[in-house]
Amino acid sequence: MVSAVRSFLRVVLATLREIGDENAYQRHLTAHGLTHSAAEWRRFSEQRFRAKYMRAKCC
Amino acid sequence: MNRILGRLLWAGIAVLAAFCLSAIAINRGETVNSFWLVVASVCTYLIGFRFYAKFIAAKVMALNDERATPAERLRDGHDFEPTNKWIVFGHHFAAIAGPGPLVGPTLAAQFGFLPGTLWIIIGAVLGGCVQDFVILFCSMRRDGKTLGQMAREEIGKVGGFTALLTVLLIMIILLAVVALVVVNALRGSPWGTFTIAATMPIAVFMGLYLRYLRPGKVLECSLLGFILVVASIFGGQWVSHSASWAPWFTYSGLALAWMVILYGFFASALPVWLLLAPRDYLSTFVKLGVVVMLGVGILFVRPELKMPAFTQFTDGTGPIFAGKIFPFCFITIACGAISGFHSLISSGTTPKLIAREWHAWPVGYGAMALESFVAIMAMVSACVLDPGIYFAVNSPAGIVGATAEKAVATISSWGYPVDAASMAQLAKDVGEDTLFYRTGGAPSLALGMAHIFASTGGGQAILGFWYHFAIMFEALFILTIIDAGTRVGRFMLQDLAGHFHKPLGRTGWMPGVIVASAAVVAGWGYFLIQGVRDPLGGINSLWPLFGIANQLLAAIAMCVATTILVKMHGAKYMWITCGPLAWLVIVCYTAAWQKIFSDLPRVGFLAQASQLEAALASGKVAAAQVAATQQQIFNNRLDAAVCAVFLVLVTTILVDSIRLWYGILTGTRPAHVNESPFVLSQLRPEEV
Repeated sequence: MVSAVRSFLRVVLATLREIGDENAYQRHLTAHGLTHSAAEWRRFSEQRFRAKYMRAKCC
Repeated sequence: MNRILGRLLWAGIAVLAAFCLSAIAINRGETVNSFWLVVASVCTYLIGFRFYAKFIAAKVMALNDERATPAERLRDGHDFEPTNKWIVFGHHFAAIAGPGPLVGPTLAAQFGFLPGTLWIIIGAVLGGCVQDFVILFCSMRRDGKTLGQMAREEIGKVGGFTALLTVLLIMIILLAVVALVVVNALRGSPWGTFTIAATMPIAVFMGLYLRYLRPGKVLECSLLGFILVVASIFGGQWVSHSASWAPWFTYSGLALAWMVILYGFFASALPVWLLLAPRDYLSTFVKLGVVVMLGVGILFVRPELKMPAFTQFTDGTGPIFAGKIFPFCFITIACGAISGFHSLISSGTTPKLIAREWHAWPVGYGAMALESFVAIMAMVSACVLDPGIYFAVNSPAGIVGATAEKAVATISSWGYPVDAASMAQLAKDVGEDTLFYRTGGAPSLALGMAHIFASTGGGQAILGFWYHFAIMFEALFILTIIDAGTRVGRFMLQDLAGHFHKPLGRTGWMPGVIVASAAVVAGWGYFLIQGVRDPLGGINSLWPLFGIANQLLAAIAMCVATTILVKMHGAKYMWITCGPLAWLVIVCYTAAWQKIFSDLPRVGFLAQASQLEAALASGKVAAAQVAATQQQIFNNRLDAAVCAVFLVLVTTILVDSIRLWYGILTGTRPAHVNESPFVLSQLRPEEV
């Protein structure tokens, strides 16, 4: 029971991190062998937002 | 043994769904508990998901987990990434859930709780969920291509261009109508206006925090933003009680409309990281939280529905919007039953994250079923209010009378008793001066939600907090839609303008940015001002226009889906998408025809223009109102023209599609399926 709750909470947190682009940032760092820095986040987020806000938000 | 138990379980769910549906459909003369709606809808979604969607997945799409998805083949660590199916589910649901499934059912409650509820459940199971699922599948098999790209490749260049133009026009109407919802909710409300105004500096603070103070800490930053937004609700309460501060945040509808227009213009030109992105994060998290809270609240409180199953307004004389139950119930509730906009999301980010083909089943079909359930909760929230209060809040002064006494007398004469004293007390309880004429759906939805939340604890004492929390929640993501929509409209317009003058197509060229932003804002701003000035409340003309447009976009998506199914299987399975398509065409064409040509002035745009023209000609219009009346005449004709343009665009793509299907089925045209080639998946189980 406890492990089921724990795994549910893990999925919830991972979903929130996916929505918040934190997972995507982590993947970006891993894929390019980079370490986190303010400049890298800015580079990543600018690229991400450019693609994200080319599309309409749903009604 | 397990198989028998499984069959018994599903048989039990089917019986329960049928029992609850028949109970809410047959029960008359006494109140119905909202729990019946919840159980009926959940059981029906489960049956649809387990049997109908699985049949489509297995037999029609032939989903195959051994086939590598675009997320695996094109993995780039950014857009294409195999992701856990529940995470994609949450991500997709967050992307498709907007104000539509909340506002539409609230407005459609004027017909009673039953028509809207049945349409939400049946429309979603047979139409909306199928559309989202099939488009997601089509995009997934085509490297994550967009609806426009698929329309161009599968149907032809005309189809692609028509889809692009339709989306641009729909966005103009969508932005106007959602802006009108916010304006009507904040009119004369210092508490609400302060809270919403405060979300802007809060979002800017979040943007700076995320960029310079704690880069990358989105969840932490959003939590901080949420705390500040909740604090701003208390701040708003203080402002509304302050004699010196309240006037600074008390505005007429027209003043608020201009503020929203100016906001839209500047926000769409500001750097994304400063305002749009942080508020988007915040509004998405708040939206998910509120949906969960509302679900828990309804299950905990299990409120009685005070709205009857049917009202007399099924005959088309409804005060909120005019028009008979058919076709207007079916275009008023778009999101929640079937929404064309979802096809843009299903062919956007989501197909690039699907790790296994079978994950499209819960993500495509399941997420829409959940959105439909949100619409059911909105219907419950609207129907737990006394019908008299519901109509007093949602009816415009032009219908019920310009004073509180006249309004309550009119509404009571319909058989929904309400009195001015109880309305005044309710307004006081939620911290407003008045709740009359708050058209648009948001305030009555906020009242219903506040009623449910307050019933879980705190009672009347915290009704005002919950009411303004609900208004903040709705306005927060509506402003995000306005900001993002204006920006996307700008890109589309620049894309088109670039064909005529190259520099206009450059999204970084400031004169181009300013001109295109101004053009898009002027487009939706015009309709917004028109809605605010409309004596019938604006919603009467704009919401049906938006509903027609959104459903017609769904018709375009279904044309694309049917084309692909015909290419895959011939005529064998085309009924799956052709059925909903035929329904959408019948509903939208009937609604559009009536909105243009109906003889009834409250329904038909041209009839209303003629009536106003006759009033002008006979000298019945006061001299001070002549200019406004002439403007109204023009606006009605413009609305009729917009409606006609939608019909022409969709007819174009429909005729193009039917010609293609006929050609394929008779063997005169090739049935080339443009799927990306089969590649064996190499993903390890632990990677999904």
